[in-house]
Amino acid sequence: MEQIQIPPVDLAVVAPLITVVGWAIVLLLVDVFFVPAGQKRITGYLGIAGLVMAGAVAAPLWGSDSSTFGGMLVLDNFALALTWIFLLIGAISMVIALDYLPRQGIEQGEFYPLIMFAVSAMMLLGQSANLIVMFLGIELLSITLYILTGFAYPRLSSEEAAMKYLLLGAFAAGFFVYGIALIYGQTGTVQLFSTAPGQESLAEYLGRQTFAAVDLTLLLVGSGLVLVAFGFKVALVPFHMWTPDVYEGAPTPVTAFMSVGTKGAALAALLRLLDMALPSLQPIWLPVLATLAAVTMLLGNLGAIAQSNVKRMLAYSSIGHAGYLLLGVMTVSERGVQGFLFYLLAYSLTNLGAFAVLIALEQRGEAAWSLDDFAGLWQRQPFLALAMAVFMLSLAGVPPTAGFVGKFYVFMAAWEGGLGWLALVGMLTSAIAAFFYLRVIARMFMQEPVRDVQPQLFRGLTLGISIAAAGTLIFGILPTLLINVVQQTALAVGR
Amino acid sequence: MTIVIQIIFALIAMLILGSALMMVLAKNVIHSALWLIASFFGVGALYLLLQAEFLAVVQVLVYVGAISILILFAIMLTRAADLAGETGRQWNNRWWLSLAVAGLLFGALIVPTVIGETWNVAPTEVAGAAAGQATGIAGAAELGRGFVYEYLLQFQVIGVLLLVALIGAIVIAYDETARRRRVLTLAEELELKKRQEAREAKEAKQSRKGKGEKPLPAPVPTDTLSKGNEGNEGNEGLVVR
Amino acid sequence: MLTNYAFIGILFVVALSFPLLPLIMAFFLRPKRPTTIKQSTYECGLEAIGDVHVQFKVQYYLYAIAFVIFDVEVIFLYPWAVAFDQVGLFGFTAAAVFILMLFLGLLYEWKKGALEWI
Repeated sequence: MEQIQIPPVDLAVVAPLITVVGWAIVLLLVDVFFVPAGQKRITGYLGIAGLVMAGAVAAPLWGSDSSTFGGMLVLDNFALALTWIFLLIGAISMVIALDYLPRQGIEQGEFYPLIMFAVSAMMLLGQSANLIVMFLGIELLSITLYILTGFAYPRLSSEEAAMKYLLLGAFAAGFFVYGIALIYGQTGTVQLFSTAPGQESLAEYLGRQTFAAVDLTLLLVGSGLVLVAFGFKVALVPFHMWTPDVYEGAPTPVTAFMSVGTKGAALAALLRLLDMALPSLQPIWLPVLATLAAVTMLLGNLGAIAQSNVKRMLAYSSIGHAGYLLLGVMTVSERGVQGFLFYLLAYSLTNLGAFAVLIALEQRGEAAWSLDDFAGLWQRQPFLALAMAVFMLSLAGVPPTAGFVGKFYVFMAAWEGGLGWLALVGMLTSAIAAFFYLRVIARMFMQEPVRDVQPQLFRGLTLGISIAAAGTLIFGILPTLLINVVQQTALAVGR
Repeated sequence: MTIVIQIIFALIAMLILGSALMMVLAKNVIHSALWLIASFFGVGALYLLLQAEFLAVVQVLVYVGAISILILFAIMLTRAADLAGETGRQWNNRWWLSLAVAGLLFGALIVPTVIGETWNVAPTEVAGAAAGQATGIAGAAELGRGFVYEYLLQFQVIGVLLLVALIGAIVIAYDETARRRRVLTLAEELELKKRQEAREAKEAKQSRKGKGEKPLPAPVPTDTLSKGNEGNEGNEGLVVR
Repeated sequence: MLTNYAFIGILFVVALSFPLLPLIMAFFLRPKRPTTIKQSTYECGLEAIGDVHVQFKVQYYLYAIAFVIFDVEVIFLYPWAVAFDQVGLFGFTAAAVFILMLFLGLLYEWKKGALEWI
């Protein structure tokens, strides 16, 4: 037999990924060999440095439009923008965890490498154009998140959350694999699009001729199963049951991290699947996704009204926001992709900031997260109250914040995509949501303190909250800064 | 020939289904695990029948060899008292509902695969298998080439995945404070004994000197030979678990 | 190709019948006169006290997990080893990176102390 040739690997495409993974592995060993117990924040600083470095590595790649590994991994501006968003999410999560972990007595150096592994999994999902790679990315992300959810080991709520997440997540993984198997059974390929003329791919298969829906039974059932799995990961409504418990039980920085990162990564992968491989089937999947989005927006926001625990309220509201993000995913258009990116960044900054404020209110062993604990926060900690007000306004989608521009963008995309009724549902649910977001603000500013809560601010936490609040405001007041960047993003389709 | 294969298939299918049924019905949870292993074996044999030899080897190595060990370990981690009360009926009042859901799900998943006539198996693989080109354990060499060429990315990501799983097991299950008495080597034990004797002699001297004064409490042996010896106070030699 | 496995099947049957046949024969041939002493668990020695099913420490599970992880690693390396003469230096490097990652994991586990028998 002849020797195989060396596969043409385009290192530029994988450079940010390799940086993050390599740094994470090295960091893991540095932590266990050199960083003494009790000073694990050094590991945290090194982890943040690694993420910043990966961002710098990715910078010169802007504008490239290439793929490698036979088209399994693509590098377009969409993937790069996602990469930066995920790196930012990872860095802010680490910053707000620096003081949280020792205060809770759960400081272990592995936290930071694990966050980095999760970030690399998200980046992989953002770049993948192959169902198997997507599956591996989702698995890597999920396994890391199971571990991080159970990180507050002696705390039972954390254990319970990890257990629930693991059981349901394993179920979702099974759906995903079975879906891939059925898709492969029909089409003989798991590649989303072809890079070379002779290469078999889903887009190629569907583009070859027009099919009746009956001919595509396997493909449709398989795609449905894949969609269910994505629904689990993103917490779309019929598959959202685990979300409040898991988000409430997980350590707060982890909740912040996964409430934005997982949704972004999984929806980005779904966006690629729909836009690159299955756009010709849009008449079939659009009604399904539109219904899912409408139900998700409605039930997520309605569920949040009943909550008196702010962390749980944010968990429900994150379900609703998954619905808004889905609006950008399902309109196969430039506008949808851009809206998705803008909304993801705005939502990430806002939600990370909101959870960071919760960290300030979390003492060791007891958490002061009920609405009553927020009463009179303005008098105790004006900085925290102001920041929280910005985040709540942004989540509600009130004008001078990034959340408003993001919502405007995705509603616009839905409207142009012929989904006017869905945009209306979105506006309606935003109005409902404003009720419980503004309730928090009213408590903070207009009431006397009810309980003796001592919010504690540390340098890292202050920095994290400041970055998030500044970003939320800047992108809200000067959205063109970001829109100019976002408008250069497009999928590497149709080559 | 086909009739022989069909008979073999029927036997294997009976083995798989029968063991699976026994696994569900067995009252002793250890017996359940053993029946599950039997079922795994049957599936391995089925893979052989389908000429997927590498898969059969994987099935035996991973499922029969490793997963069953994990299951038995998991049973060992439980308390016997927890299981004692559960030797009675294995179904609850709404078993019919679960049966209906399971049946519906099974039907929903299996029907499209059976009635779908559009299976599009890559032609090269079928041709290769029919021609019997593969030698030894079929497909293994092809897979090996695939891992480092076509599926290099997946191969490496799986490496990261396994690494993360390893970290996760340690982060979740390993408790540093629970690390207790390490079994010492003979030399270490002798050394420890010598130090203890020296300490006792010193204490005896001190108490003689102090004349009626209360002897100072014995210092905690900070000179233990390994860092894993917290909780070694008054270690009287070997502690074997 | 399947006929190759017929021999294994025959071997399997023969190997199974070797221990089973004497046992079955003995069941029919042996005299049956049970007494209390014969029926006890140990004819000489102490009666067992307590339950055999004791709870093990969760740390033992770490060994099982590590075993499974390296078992799976071997599974992935096996095809590579079969194709070793065809994959060349590049294939060697690829597998080396794969092994290195898990080796570093093992290093981490060792330094962490999780490999020490408790």
